[in-house]
Amino acid sequence: MLKKIVKSSEFVTFTIIVLLSLIIGIINPAFFSLATVFDVLRASIVVSIMAFGLLLVIIAGGIDISFVAFAALASYGTHMFLLSRGYNGGIFLYYAIACVIGLGAGLLSGLIVTRFNLPIFDVSLAMMTMWYGFIRFFIGSTKNFKLPEGAVGYYSRFLVTVRDPFVGEAGLHFSILYVLIIGVLIHCLLKYTTLGRGIYAMGGNREVAIRSGFNIKGTLLVVFGILGVLSAFAGVTHSFLSRHFEPTLFMTQNLDVIAAVILGGASVTGGKGSVLGTFMGVILIQLINRAMVLTGITVEWQQLMIGLVLAFFISIPAIRDLINKRASRAVEVPEEI
Amino acid sequence: MTNEILRVENVSKAFAGVKALDQVSLTVQEGEILCLVGENGSGKSTMIKIISGVYHPDQGDIIINGHSYKQLTPIESMREGVQVIYQDFSLFPNLSVAENLVINEQLSSGRRLVNWKETYKTAERGLEEIHVSIPLDAMVSELSTADRQLIAVTKAILAEARIIIMDEPTTALTQKEIQSLFEVINNLKAKGISTIFVSHKLNEVTEIADRTVIFRNGRKVMDQDAKNLDIKTMEFYMTGHELDLDNSQLAQPDQQAAPLLEVEKLGLRGKFKDVSFQLRPGEVLGITGLLGSGRTELALALFGETPADSGTIRVEGREVTIRSIQDAMRNRIGYVPEDRILEGLFLQQTISDNIIVRIIDQMVNKIHLIRAGASKKVSDEWIGRLEVKTPSGELPAKSLSGGNQQRLVLAKWLASDPRILILNSPTVGVDVGSKASIHELIRNLASQGMGILLISDDIPELMQTCNRLILMRRGRTFGVFDREDITEEQLNQEMVADRVFSI
Repeated sequence: MLKKIVKSSEFVTFTIIVLLSLIIGIINPAFFSLATVFDVLRASIVVSIMAFGLLLVIIAGGIDISFVAFAALASYGTHMFLLSRGYNGGIFLYYAIACVIGLGAGLLSGLIVTRFNLPIFDVSLAMMTMWYGFIRFFIGSTKNFKLPEGAVGYYSRFLVTVRDPFVGEAGLHFSILYVLIIGVLIHCLLKYTTLGRGIYAMGGNREVAIRSGFNIKGTLLVVFGILGVLSAFAGVTHSFLSRHFEPTLFMTQNLDVIAAVILGGASVTGGKGSVLGTFMGVILIQLINRAMVLTGITVEWQQLMIGLVLAFFISIPAIRDLINKRASRAVEVPEEI
Repeated sequence: MTNEILRVENVSKAFAGVKALDQVSLTVQEGEILCLVGENGSGKSTMIKIISGVYHPDQGDIIINGHSYKQLTPIESMREGVQVIYQDFSLFPNLSVAENLVINEQLSSGRRLVNWKETYKTAERGLEEIHVSIPLDAMVSELSTADRQLIAVTKAILAEARIIIMDEPTTALTQKEIQSLFEVINNLKAKGISTIFVSHKLNEVTEIADRTVIFRNGRKVMDQDAKNLDIKTMEFYMTGHELDLDNSQLAQPDQQAAPLLEVEKLGLRGKFKDVSFQLRPGEVLGITGLLGSGRTELALALFGETPADSGTIRVEGREVTIRSIQDAMRNRIGYVPEDRILEGLFLQQTISDNIIVRIIDQMVNKIHLIRAGASKKVSDEWIGRLEVKTPSGELPAKSLSGGNQQRLVLAKWLASDPRILILNSPTVGVDVGSKASIHELIRNLASQGMGILLISDDIPELMQTCNRLILMRRGRTFGVFDREDITEEQLNQEMVADRVFSI
């Protein structure tokens, strides 16, 4: 059992997180504080929610880059619509409308993929470009800082707060609960439903999945629907946390999310990945981002660092394979027979 | 008193006017092990697909458990208890053993939720049925081919199979694994489950069959009790003529000629050591030994894939360093890999592209575009010379049957005109007829002055094609024999002696 845990890719991610934390902490002891934990978690909320949606697509054997555009479309679109209606209530309506938009955008991608039997990546490339264009052409092209009254103060709704000697008062934002709830739901979907096992099955061997009688098209539609809804949810959450709405939200961040999912142990070829791993992948990336600030290394190094960690991480299975091969192939060559 | 469980009556099936099956009848009794034998294209696969409902016959009836079908569907076939184990086993590599075993039942029951406890219980019961133990939580990707096969068999049993059809089940198994598979099959027999065993390994057929049926060109040419049926008779029915296995046509290489390849004290740490030999033009030199004796590693070292770390290699008298595959090719050493599908071919690409891939540089015009005419000429030539059975060189390589894919791999290497050709188990998974023609081809190539290293553990094959034999044991050359000085029995004993010795 223990051996199994040690062998898992989640464990590798976890080890990297621990090592990295120790290194940062040694260089800058201020790192070891609840404030840092809260800060890293806060930065992980939005990315995690999107990553959970993307995880499903990656397990199913595809790569999507358009989910960031779903987030932008749903959050900015909802905001501009409600603003024009003079809406001044709470954020619930924002989530409701945005999720419907996200669902629609996700299902559209899903329909194109299943209907014409196209590679997911190709479709998402087209959809990403299309939706960002759509937003700027039909909805608006400038950032908007006007928030409805019901949502003012949302960004500082904390679950708990602590006093920190370095940063003053620090709090854990309550939207971390969203991550928890969505994470548990996705985990259960993947682990305990026939649908979820079908996602793994089609990622592992699509032909056999079809032959076994899995409804591949239906499964993909559900996967895209969830991706759309979660992206929209993340988009709205991010906009309220940062107190503004923008038409090009996340435009350059899709690769970071993909990197997080892969650091979490998912395989780009499909069939592998977990919610827990994905969450740790997100944490790891945020940690590397913080590390630079806290250790005084310039921002240019961030990308280099993430790239290096990623390169190391994706090589692990290959290295492990090599070691196994050596061990199993090598025979004792005796001096004399 | 036996019960007939399956009866196929006067079934015919044609594809685009070509008769794949012509008025074939077949019966299977309860608990019977029926071996279905035939060369590539003899109609075996078509028959399997008709029994499993994938194809509908143009004529004839299928009667399973007393129910007669004109148009059997895959679902009906499964419901009647027919389960086919294809060569790819239809498993999910990324899922656990338990899940793979139960996933079909999970789907057909229409349950939306997964009960893991139940899954493990059912999986365990399944494995107990055939008396094997494989860890239920292991990923299928971590299992050996033999274990995967057992999983596939167990899956069939859990689906309440009454007839299990195995398509070439022993291709990738070791001798020991084959024996345990046979045990499982006999086990099924005791439970009253019938097996249709499709194979062209005739020694296995004689071992396992209750009854043997032989197909040739879409017709059933033999159907009889397997007792008193010898391999020679089967070969005769399969090919329709006596196979010419006469050894005397083996050309003797010129003993005076300078060696093409000289290897001296070649070694690779942990793999092999102090290997020395010479290969003359026109000579076929066999290298044999058990799995793990270093024979494959030696071949890979000569081909530069895993270069040797000590010793010298001389090609045509010149000392060369072979540190990469490119080095080997520059010295005109060709290698035909063991696993034709994994290592040798671009399955999606056309047959002719596969043939010319190694010599593509010679096929281009001044501005480096490929001259279509030249490439077609070369590929057609090799398709003809190696008798690759295909209507056109423009079809993808995956459209070929196993034996023809092996020929295609040969064609690919021969097109680059090597002086030294290393063949690694060239006839594994190839039927008798094709095997004989590959052997003939090897002899022909040698007589044209090529030097050939044939790595194989198929002793009759070695005896029929090689001038000399090197026996390897645990990384060292154990003996060099002229073919005239050793018999099949002696060679067999030498190999088995090693097995006893190493235990």
